[in-house]
Amino acid sequence: MRRTPLYDEHVANGAKVVDFHGWLLPIQYAGILEEHAHTRSRVSLFDCSHMGEFILKGHGSIRAFDRLVCMDAAGLPVGRCRYGALLNEAGRIVDDVIALRLDEDLLYVVTNAGALDAVRARILEHAPDARDVSESTAKIDVQGPGACEALMAAGISAARDLRYFAVCRTTWKGAEVIVTRAGYTGERGYELYLPPELAPKAWRALIAVPGTAPAGLGARDTLRTEMGYPLSGQDVDESRTPLEARMDRFIAWNKEFVGREALVELKRRGGYPVLTAIRTRDRRAPRHGFEAYADGVAVGTVTSGVFGPSVGYGIGLAYLPDALPPESILTAGPRSIEIEVSELPFYRQGSCRD
Amino acid sequence: MEFPDDLRYTKDHEWIRDDGNVYTVGITAYAAEQLGDITYVELPEVGTHVKQGAHAATVESVKAASDVYSPVAGHIAEINEELEARPELVNESPYDNGWFFRLDDVESVQLRRLMDAAAYRVYVEELTA
Repeated sequence: MRRTPLYDEHVANGAKVVDFHGWLLPIQYAGILEEHAHTRSRVSLFDCSHMGEFILKGHGSIRAFDRLVCMDAAGLPVGRCRYGALLNEAGRIVDDVIALRLDEDLLYVVTNAGALDAVRARILEHAPDARDVSESTAKIDVQGPGACEALMAAGISAARDLRYFAVCRTTWKGAEVIVTRAGYTGERGYELYLPPELAPKAWRALIAVPGTAPAGLGARDTLRTEMGYPLSGQDVDESRTPLEARMDRFIAWNKEFVGREALVELKRRGGYPVLTAIRTRDRRAPRHGFEAYADGVAVGTVTSGVFGPSVGYGIGLAYLPDALPPESILTAGPRSIEIEVSELPFYRQGSCRD
Repeated sequence: MEFPDDLRYTKDHEWIRDDGNVYTVGITAYAAEQLGDITYVELPEVGTHVKQGAHAATVESVKAASDVYSPVAGHIAEINEELEARPELVNESPYDNGWFFRLDDVESVQLRRLMDAAAYRVYVEELTA
């Protein structure tokens, strides 16, 4: 089992640690509900050092990478971030990724831990000069309405001028830190990419800011589900296309990319299931793996489901027929709980764009 | 972790207490901690009969849903309706305000075969070793 540079901090802070894709990561500290509420009202720190990072230098490498993803990565302006998916030849999702344009000839790509081997193989096959810097990169997400103030208090003042989905490079304690204004919670937030040896120092500096507390994977999951953000390896994987994952707005149809033909064909044929927001009418939650039924007939599968602490009812994502109107009533799971087709995001008061 | 001496315990981490003419059932502090924050409790209907070891309630935490089994056979005499609005009582007070249901018409022979506090403590220590 692998440990992030922040493992000792988690243990020292009393975290409950679990195996996440081969990494020992905190599932919770004080409790999922408390950490969830804290992120929505104050500031939480998340250790995301398990994630993958790649550097593509030079226009040739950037163009080669651009062919692997459905969004327009090559056309991304300097200082901006863009979300999308890395696809296989069948148009299916190997992983969802975020590209950061650090400079005219420098693209930084962030991927997930679960599919890292497959992602690395694809990137290196198409862009042999790409550098996998996952091992030498720690990542700390600072999320919550007070995130900007917390970073300023810790001496990372570059955060102040970043707009939503912008990126910059700054220096902290003599080392380069990449800062994005992004996250996975729906709250105003920042992601720090920094050298592993600097990570514990940054973590401690941020924890020392009043109102800041650590949070684990459990709260991360309830927070992202309330926003309807998909989880790679669970909601999106190599069995699904970005059309099914309702990622249409992240597909740049005006460029060539691996899997494009398959997507064009799928779109032409239609009739595919799409990732749909579902909710319950009480505190019961739909769960990953539940089959969904309409009038006793199986119509789809739940891929994410939790109790939504900020909305007060069960919420989730399910692959369901495209034609289901909002408020359609289905049943799901062994106890046939009632679920209703809903709309995203479930939680609408997030501060991420403030 | 607290395992009161006046309760009997099951391997599925339910407890049962003799309250005179009824027997009160809940889940142990260990179970509540393992589940994490509890967000929903589905209780049986008053007036129904449950067999020993039969599914009697469902408890959902943020992370997962789990079944709760009746430690002994009996008749559901009362349920803790407060859990509907405040499921967190199970985490806060597993042996008191967080009780699940009360049974009557219980066979005491079934009760005597359950673990006492000392045996359950050893059982939990083995699970966590």
